[in-house]
Amino acid sequence: MIVCMRYPRGVLLVLALGILIALSPGHAFASNGAGDATPSSSELVESPEEFDGDVISFTGEAIGEMMTRGDMAWLHLNDDAYRDRNVEEGAPLGGYNSGMAVWVPVELTETIATFGNHAHEGDIVRVTGTFNAACPEHGGDMDIHASSLEVVTPGHRVEDPVHPRKLVWAVALSILALGAFLADRLRAHAEDTQGM
Amino acid sequence: MLLRPRREDHLVIGKYTGKIVIGIGLLMVVPLLTSIVFAEWDTAVDFVISISLCMAFGYGTQAVCRTDRDLGWSHGLVVASSSWLVATAIGAMPHWLSGHMGSYLDAMFDVMSGYTTTGLYLMQDLDHIAHGLNMWRHLLTFAGGQGIVVIALTFLFKGAVGAYTVYVGEGKDERLLPNVVQTARAIWLVSLVWLGFGAAALAIAGLALGQDPVRAVLHGLWVYMGGWSTGGFAPQSYNTFYYHSVLYEAITVVVFIAGSFNFALHWAVWTGGRREIRRNVETVSFAITLSLTVLIATFALAKAGVYSDAMVLFRKVFYQLASGHTTTGFSTIYSRAFVTQWGPIGMLATTIAMAIGASACSTAGGIKGIRIGVIFKAFVQDVRKSVSPENALISERYHHIRDITLSDGLVRSAMTITIAYVLLYALITLAGVLYGYDFADAVFEGVSAASNTGLSCGVTSPSMPEGMKALYILAMWLGRLEFMSVFALGGYAISIVRGRR
Repeated sequence: MIVCMRYPRGVLLVLALGILIALSPGHAFASNGAGDATPSSSELVESPEEFDGDVISFTGEAIGEMMTRGDMAWLHLNDDAYRDRNVEEGAPLGGYNSGMAVWVPVELTETIATFGNHAHEGDIVRVTGTFNAACPEHGGDMDIHASSLEVVTPGHRVEDPVHPRKLVWAVALSILALGAFLADRLRAHAEDTQGM
Repeated sequence: MLLRPRREDHLVIGKYTGKIVIGIGLLMVVPLLTSIVFAEWDTAVDFVISISLCMAFGYGTQAVCRTDRDLGWSHGLVVASSSWLVATAIGAMPHWLSGHMGSYLDAMFDVMSGYTTTGLYLMQDLDHIAHGLNMWRHLLTFAGGQGIVVIALTFLFKGAVGAYTVYVGEGKDERLLPNVVQTARAIWLVSLVWLGFGAAALAIAGLALGQDPVRAVLHGLWVYMGGWSTGGFAPQSYNTFYYHSVLYEAITVVVFIAGSFNFALHWAVWTGGRREIRRNVETVSFAITLSLTVLIATFALAKAGVYSDAMVLFRKVFYQLASGHTTTGFSTIYSRAFVTQWGPIGMLATTIAMAIGASACSTAGGIKGIRIGVIFKAFVQDVRKSVSPENALISERYHHIRDITLSDGLVRSAMTITIAYVLLYALITLAGVLYGYDFADAVFEGVSAASNTGLSCGVTSPSMPEGMKALYILAMWLGRLEFMSVFALGGYAISIVRGRR
């Protein structure tokens, strides 16, 4: 009520229209400051036709390795629940990995220092480029042809120390296994002796 | 009339189940060494715990179950099915200890999927797991492909007379050599020679694609294991899509098609019978059904206009269909792309391919080409009979290592197992639908699990209902062991409770 009294009807109409446009299917996804859409990998996989050929911005952890092919390279960026912290660092389980394959000029990748694996959390990288639902240049793969790349957050080494409780279990069970092995051998030996 | 098993029956089953679990423990030494080499100490401790559990169970059971009695027919079947269950329960320990599994049931799901060479998984944050755990995932699917009983036969059974029944209980019935232990060793010989060539080819391809030498070798080995075993596990969550390479795809196709062939066919070629590849009923059946399903999917996808280029269309369709038909489960598209891009007809073609599966006595699952071939020949025979004079003698033959005349017994046996598979596919689909999944998704995923394929359209996930996970574990187990040994285990359990002394 108070709001209605303070703002003219025209402003409210424009606001309502703005909200409607923002919620319409064409604008259902977030965008970055430059106006490019920033869909997640799940959104791209679920609605590939909607973004096919669009210039998008995509951010994710550089995973695995960079595979260089001449002047270009393949990168894989994961935008999943482990983007900032992986399970070894105590991140809660948050489902499967998910991400996008990125085709990028090698010269743009020089700033990437760390790729994610068991021992490392990879650099978080933002790329902008054209999304292809089924790239004709790359055997129909779903990919992003990136024209710009920046490292948003550098990666780091992940420590995965041995849990003391596991060590105790390992020692106890090893003793148990040795006991079972000896019991089996001794019984077999006793039977052999009796047989003789 | 059911007879209650005697103490001696329990002892003989316990003794041989124990031996197989010891075999699983010995297998875990490989990932343990891998973890040590890469200084993954926490993972190494996980494997020490798991190996100790296997040894404690295996030797403990052997110590308790001392008997000189050899395996009878029913014992062998019960040992085969029960050892797969125990091996799954204990083999899940490294997965669970890694912290990457939502529950112990999830860990058992992944291990059963590995042993049965299915390839579906519930492991979370796969892209950050240790090399040791990745080695275990691939090794268990490689071992499962040859048969975990085959491993035990090779190293631990030392020529037991009744060993053949355990071998049959694992869904294999070909004797490549007169002695079943020699047969098991021949299976390993074939697989290891292919391992040398396949893993080397993939490692070289990986190097050429820009992988560093260590990763190229590891990925080459693991992708080979996933392909040859028709398991479909891969070291990255992107599966074989990760490599973006037609060369890598071509090598994997050769490996998984070879893995899907009958070991008897491999042995025939190995011993000089190259013509067998062209004449064998299973290779002929595979070529025909693969071509038909590829045609259907190509037609549907061309109509939908998903892929703009004919070669691109063929490459994508052939790879997914060949992978599905051989029950491998390697994929170069996202799981959900089956729904969002391929649509119902593409999914149907893939489902048919997965349901048929590849060759009997191979690493693959599904109904199997030989049964499709036999049923088709029987159909042709009936049609010929119906159009021939009443007193005409009509016989049909098929070629599998040698020429075999079709008999009613052979047809009945093929039909029985085929009907059992179709029923399993129907029941697992019904379960999916009852849990609220779309029919097309439920059929696709259910058939994928029961035929031990592992292609997914997104139904399998860590968040799927626990009941579905348990049912998929059951379906993978039943599908891999081809029912009989699981039924024998059920009969054994019932006879303990209700049998007469």
